[in-house]
Amino acid sequence: MSAQERKWEALIDRLELSRRDFVFGGLAAGALTLTPRFVSAQAGAPYKIGVLLPSTGTGANYMAHTIKGLPGAIAELNKRGGLLGKHPVEMVYRDDETKPDVGAREAKSLILNDKVDAIFGTYSSAVALAIQEIIHEYKVLHFSATSNSSKITQENYTPYTYQFCPDSNMQSGAVVVAVGRMAKKNNWKTFVSLGQDYEWGRDTHKGFTGGLAKIAPQIKETRQLWFKLGETDFTSYITAIMAAKPDFMFGAVAGKDAETFMQQAGQMGLFKRVPFPGGLIAVNDLKAQRKTLPRGIIGLARSPFFAHLKEPIMQAYIKRDRAAFGPDGYPDDWAVMYYDALGGLEQGAKKAGSVKTEAIIKALKGATIDTARGKRTFRDCSNQLDVPSYVGEVWDSPDYPFPIYKPDTMILVEGHDVWTPTCAEVEKLKKKRA
Amino acid sequence: MDDFAPYALQLFSGLSRAMVLFLLSAGLSLIFGVMNILNFAHATLWLVSGYVTFSIFAFLSQQFGASPWLLVPAVAGAVLLMALFGFALERLLIRHTYERELPEQLLLTFALVLILGDMIKLIWGLENRRINLGVQPVEMLGTLVNPYQFVIIGTGVAVAAGLWLFLHRTRLGKIVRAAVYSRNMVSALGIPIPTIYALVFALGVGLAALAGGVFLPLLPMALGVDLDIIVQCFAVVVIGGFGSMLGTFVASIIVGVVYAFSILFWPDGALAMIFLIVIAVLIWRPWGLFGTELRY
Repeated sequence: MSAQERKWEALIDRLELSRRDFVFGGLAAGALTLTPRFVSAQAGAPYKIGVLLPSTGTGANYMAHTIKGLPGAIAELNKRGGLLGKHPVEMVYRDDETKPDVGAREAKSLILNDKVDAIFGTYSSAVALAIQEIIHEYKVLHFSATSNSSKITQENYTPYTYQFCPDSNMQSGAVVVAVGRMAKKNNWKTFVSLGQDYEWGRDTHKGFTGGLAKIAPQIKETRQLWFKLGETDFTSYITAIMAAKPDFMFGAVAGKDAETFMQQAGQMGLFKRVPFPGGLIAVNDLKAQRKTLPRGIIGLARSPFFAHLKEPIMQAYIKRDRAAFGPDGYPDDWAVMYYDALGGLEQGAKKAGSVKTEAIIKALKGATIDTARGKRTFRDCSNQLDVPSYVGEVWDSPDYPFPIYKPDTMILVEGHDVWTPTCAEVEKLKKKRA
Repeated sequence: MDDFAPYALQLFSGLSRAMVLFLLSAGLSLIFGVMNILNFAHATLWLVSGYVTFSIFAFLSQQFGASPWLLVPAVAGAVLLMALFGFALERLLIRHTYERELPEQLLLTFALVLILGDMIKLIWGLENRRINLGVQPVEMLGTLVNPYQFVIIGTGVAVAAGLWLFLHRTRLGKIVRAAVYSRNMVSALGIPIPTIYALVFALGVGLAALAGGVFLPLLPMALGVDLDIIVQCFAVVVIGGFGSMLGTFVASIIVGVVYAFSILFWPDGALAMIFLIVIAVLIWRPWGLFGTELRY
């Protein structure tokens, strides 16, 4: 290992230990500013990425791997000389605390004070919608790879935002496909919904109920339960779900709340009485809840590494993260999508032959890029990457120290099969911007 | 029976929520009642306690093998450690704010929230911490419930009874109660108020630690949970009356049960219902249902 590589390893170790935004931001910004020295003499100016993700709040557990993994991925890119082989990438991290007001403030600070060229983030759709106004005003590139309300690329569309994650309509569409099959098989007639009472939860629920009404209108929703972000005690919600005696339940629950709900619901035996198909169970959930997650439960994932083991980019990424974070260090869905976002930036700059924002957004418009999920194309009208959603049964694999989705139960629903509405309708939805 | 079962279960879940709120709010109420300190960092100390309990539990599991019973010494250890930490905190920091205005107290305790949050990140990292006791659900009224909720309800009732005995049957408890009503008079009787304050603060933090440990098998400890729950604790102490343990107990039950039944009948307005009660109390009885109007 070279001295430069050792410095990087030390930096990543420190990043893993130092969590508070100012400590984190300081270390990341300060240490990463040294990056150009590692990549020898380069002609181009550094390219600055502002990473706006929560290390506090309900999304913190989902973003942990991404936050600690991105510096290494950027280091890897810088070993190739950075963007276009001559623009070393620097990263400035900020904690948005999963709050729209904090996110907007930090986005503005990243743009005005740190002079970033692009923002990678956010976790929460509410935060994404808030920062998009700033992104558009200052004409800064925005790569979104977790927050996935369809409004981000439709109603709130800005040409500066590119979406690397299946949006809420695509995810709901995938669940509708899976639930439709199961409902037919099990003769389901009623369901109860539980959701986080904010933009993404409402949007996901709307997508699911709308889709289900089209393919199985006989299935009726008998109760909707909404809870505030950061709920700590789901007991009363769980007893209310059981009291309704539905044939199944639908959940729009993510982040820390999902972890809390799954733990408490499992302990109360909810899933023994009420099937819960299509709840968000990402790789980080599979790892964190490896002992408690009920086996056989049907989960929904956005980018599980085990679905694309044959892809060379995925293979290399897994190898790198396991080398960096130990045998358990398989990347979660979120880390994979942000890794793809970084790859998208590199390929966009290469295609444009420039690191200028306007040139990159023009180059990426409708472009096909190589990702850890294979070759994927951006939807022309919304800058939404055509990526699949994954539904499958949680199962103990002999190959991993945590459960994964059982391969023969996994349904991969391609983005273009379920994305809604049509491009003509998307154009009508887009808000008028100055 | 079938018609009655959903309501009974909702009541049961409401009582479970109530006892968690009581365990957490009791210390907050006691500290404000006796010391006039609005400790915004109370829930953060609760969160730290959860992490400490986790670490002790993990250590004991490594030493003696996994067993759910190890939660008992883990919680006891965390309560002791956190009470000592609370004592030191009061002596080093909190005591400097007694003569200050409320905004300054809030600023100091809010600074503690940030500092303790950073401390959690540095020591335990970003990953949520959880304890899995391997508890299996049991059948009750035709449905399944988590038997650990009986432990939570039992602990809440036992702590309420213990606090009542302490405050009404011991000399120190009577001094604490007297300090709620008139600190000046207690001081005039030659009782060292600074020591009483430090002990009360340690007791309050110890109660928060108990709540953190007891709640750990149900709630993964994560950054930000403290700020999610502190608002409900303030609602409890406002309704019950700062300084009144009986008030805190009754208000916890009101908040827990009203919230649970609101989920059944008006889920969108569950949280609003709690704050409607808070508003009503603040208008008609600003010192709380069981608080005292007069303070010297």
